[in-house]
Amino acid sequence: MRIKEHPVIDFSKKKGRKVTIYFEGKPIEAYEGEPIAEALHAAGIRVLNYTPRGRPRGLFCAIGKCSSCLMKVNGVPNVRTCITLVEDGMRVERQRGLEPLPQDYHPPKWKDATKTEGDVIIIGGGPAGMMAAISAADHGAEVILIDEQPMLGGQLVKQTHKFFGKRQQFAGVRGTKIAEILKEEIEKRRIKVFSRTSAVGLFQDGDKKMVSAVRNNKELLEFYGKAVVVATGALEKMIPFENNDLPGVYGAGAIQTLMNTYGIMPGKRVLIVGAGNVGVILAYQLIQAGVKVVAIIEAMPKIGGYFVHAAKVRRLGVPILTRHTILRAEGRDKVERAIVAKIDENWKPIPGTEKVYNVDIVALAVGLRPSIELLHQVGAQTTYVRELGGYVVRHDDMMQTTVKDIFVAGDSSGIEEATTAMLEGKIAGLAAALRVGKADLRAVNEVKKAHEELMEFRSGPFGARILEGLEKVMIK
Amino acid sequence: MKMKSKADVVVVGGGIIGLFSAYWLAKSGEEVVVIEKKYPGSGSTFRCGTGIRQQFGDYANIQMMKKSVEIWKNLGEMLEFPEFKFAQTGYLFLLYSDEEIESFSKNVRLQNKYGIPSRIITPEEAREIVPLIDISEVKAASWNPTDGKANPFLAVRGLLNALKNLNAEVYPYTEVKEILHRGNEVKGVKTSRGEIRADIILNATNAWAKILNEKLGLKFPIEPYKHQAVITEPFKYDEIKPMVISFKYGGAYLTQEVTSGGVIGGIDLKYGPTWDLTTTYKFMREIAKNFTHIIPALKYIPLIRQWAGYYAETPDHNAVIGKVREYDGYYIAAGFSGHGFMLAPAATKGIVDIILHGKSDLPMDFYDPYRFERGELREQAIQMG
Ligand SMILES: Cc1cc2nc3c(=O)[nH]c(=O)nc-3n(C[C@H](O)[C@H](O)[C@H](O)COP(=O)(O)OP(=O)(O)OC[C@H]3O[C@@H](n4cnc5c(N)ncnc54)[C@H](O)[C@@H]3O)c2cc1C
Ligand SMILES: Cc1cc2nc3c(=O)[nH]c(=O)nc-3n(C[C@H](O)[C@H](O)[C@H](O)COP(=O)(O)OP(=O)(O)OC[C@H]3O[C@@H](n4cnc5c(N)ncnc54)[C@H](O)[C@@H]3O)c2cc1C
Ligand code: FES
Repeated sequence: MRIKEHPVIDFSKKKGRKVTIYFEGKPIEAYEGEPIAEALHAAGIRVLNYTPRGRPRGLFCAIGKCSSCLMKVNGVPNVRTCITLVEDGMRVERQRGLEPLPQDYHPPKWKDATKTEGDVIIIGGGPAGMMAAISAADHGAEVILIDEQPMLGGQLVKQTHKFFGKRQQFAGVRGTKIAEILKEEIEKRRIKVFSRTSAVGLFQDGDKKMVSAVRNNKELLEFYGKAVVVATGALEKMIPFENNDLPGVYGAGAIQTLMNTYGIMPGKRVLIVGAGNVGVILAYQLIQAGVKVVAIIEAMPKIGGYFVHAAKVRRLGVPILTRHTILRAEGRDKVERAIVAKIDENWKPIPGTEKVYNVDIVALAVGLRPSIELLHQVGAQTTYVRELGGYVVRHDDMMQTTVKDIFVAGDSSGIEEATTAMLEGKIAGLAAALRVGKADLRAVNEVKKAHEELMEFRSGPFGARILEGLEKVMIK
Repeated sequence: MKMKSKADVVVVGGGIIGLFSAYWLAKSGEEVVVIEKKYPGSGSTFRCGTGIRQQFGDYANIQMMKKSVEIWKNLGEMLEFPEFKFAQTGYLFLLYSDEEIESFSKNVRLQNKYGIPSRIITPEEAREIVPLIDISEVKAASWNPTDGKANPFLAVRGLLNALKNLNAEVYPYTEVKEILHRGNEVKGVKTSRGEIRADIILNATNAWAKILNEKLGLKFPIEPYKHQAVITEPFKYDEIKPMVISFKYGGAYLTQEVTSGGVIGGIDLKYGPTWDLTTTYKFMREIAKNFTHIIPALKYIPLIRQWAGYYAETPDHNAVIGKVREYDGYYIAAGFSGHGFMLAPAATKGIVDIILHGKSDLPMDFYDPYRFERGELREQAIQMG
């Protein structure tokens, strides 16, 4: 089902040309510009594949990071359908376990990859990466910005709510709008932007950096530069419970992608697990889209999200149950029910407190972890810091990692917020510009100012934990 | 874990060679400890291409590998670790020219003499074995159905299990800093966590062997070279059963990994001598190019990981195994190039025979540590997986 009316987004303007794809032979209506899995979801198809042990699987992350959505597309197995766009006449089939390769005896034609050179290569076009690009370009650095999504903005493009934070960092502005403003700033500058381009490798060749990337899942690109900023954001966490792989158990981000990016109804009735900011805001966004939220459950004794958001959701009639956990999801091939229970001080479910919710979606908003694969590959030192979401790379106060001239910013340096992502991006962008010899003393002063703003922001209600975490990763 | 202060034998290095040696020693009743500076398998062993072949070009490696395969076949049972499986899926060398056919025919004749059932087959027969290969340029293939592959993680786990049952101890995250000796007799080792006394010490540190040797004034020519490998996403098992090798296309070797079903393999691109183990873009690109020439359908399957490890190379690409003359009680089994995993069962049997009995029925002279000194290089062994 598609969303007909939405108070914030006008989907009629965003929709592409109508096309037909064939799911196991059956024609399905889809729109150009939307990925296969999303189009199938709109048509009511939840099960995308069966694992080698025969368990059904569907979407989970919707950003190409978890491999839960693999299908056979035009005979080719292992296609991540959540980020592969539909094409007219495409044949799509459920994958059953490990599938054979197509019988094809034609070696591909090899040509040299397209090479692009610049001073600073920025991987990831969310708020952190975009700010890094803007700041480095302002000081005269030649900037390359790579992002794997069709549009810049990262998490922001899915946030229909007005942001918290400081005025200078767009407080009170909707996430989608912040993305637009930053995009306009990027367009004003001489920044080379590569969308739908996944960075797949980060290499060093002497003092030079090299990023290998794939555009549109087909074309190999090579980028050469003197400094790299990695701002690849985060991935959703999963928690253990029975049937947590049942189609309909979706990450919060996937639900936002479905409804806020593509205008597709994620389901009819939703249980949200996790009452942090993401969970609470998700509830509000679901209600906006006309979806019933039966409850938000939270294992901690207190709600983690901003009080104002939580109060608003409660006013709309959504119960928030603290000290509750999900025991299992139930259903044939897709979620039909969720069983939750109260837990005691030792996090053990209390017998007799089970509740059954009839829902078709279980939304997991149980936190994010930094996306550090590329940094790990290039040999940056990592360490586990719970406060920052898991494994993070060590960095100094200029956001430089243990690998010279490779910087990190935003959620990929530790899970925080868009506001801090932008400030960190700014610092990393300026530091990179300084390092490649393009910036001067003015940049140093700007870095100082950004540090002050960061400090001020982190002295707020959620900052204490972050500061504790940062203490553990900072190289002094 | 608290360390013992003495043992009969100290094995330095917890790769496949150190662990397998410790296994034979413990089975013979020796009190043995293995000292590993990181974790078992972390050296070259866990980074290897999983290939096990008998198609060599000299009498010694052929016989050693024949013995090894006998042991690999029964290893699961021998270690009481049924998870371990030797997949006897063969090795297929694709040949593109008359010269290649001639040189492989010569090897096949020698292999047959020692009872290895290898043979030269037609391109069509090769395609029957691996239906996905492009045979348009292939003129023949050298095929041995009794070669195979095994998962090094399971092999190491099996050995660790067995060592535990035999009360042999393995100390991870413990580095041997020095071999202790009085005059020309070894007396034990000094580690990062204290000393252990022992009259017999086996240097099984492969690529790192020269570090301890040099401290004793010994010079066996073993140098670390960086080699890399990749693995792809998995697909249906048994599409590419044997190890497929092509010298024409990058010196590539590739096969579906036993447990996951992804294609594991590499090409002949090395750097060194070096201690650097960062991966290179050139390797990734050359892999993509060469693999898709051999099996075009691989163009549909993404690479998911690339890593680097050491080939501990000697001038003739054969290992250095034997008793060290200068120090009583000091033994070495190192420098295994690209074939230490496959050789491990027989090579370790051989060195343990030498340690315990002073001799072995296996052709161990071939790996004599002093052959280089005498300028007596062996014919270069094929380095491939
Ligand atoms: C529901 C929700 C509500 C939120 N509300 C607020 C709020 O009110 N206030 C606030 O300050 N923050 C909020 N946030 C947090 C904020 O959105 C994130 O912290 C912020 O987006 C992080 O920015 P980033 O640039 O680090 O990462 P992201 O925005 O995640 O961007 C990362 C980008 O990198 C790209 N990428 C990743 N890997 C690759 C690769 N290999 N190659 C190429 N590109 C790649 C991705 O496509 C993506 O565009 C909210 C988040 C959520 C989920
Ligand atoms: C990319 C690649 C592909 C390969 N493919 C194949 C293949 O297909 N088939 C095959 O047979 N072989 C292959 N090999 C070769 C094979 O991996 C090695 O020959 C084999 O693993 C050697 O085992 P080892 O136990 O001697 O060495 P290692 O596994 O390197 O073990 C030596 C150990 O010693 C430890 N150590 C070093 N110094 C000290 C010290 N001072 N104190 C304590 N511990 C120390 C190290 O940490 C290490 O764990 C490949 C190698 C690579 C790199
Ligand atoms: S990769 Fe497609 S749902 Fe995660």
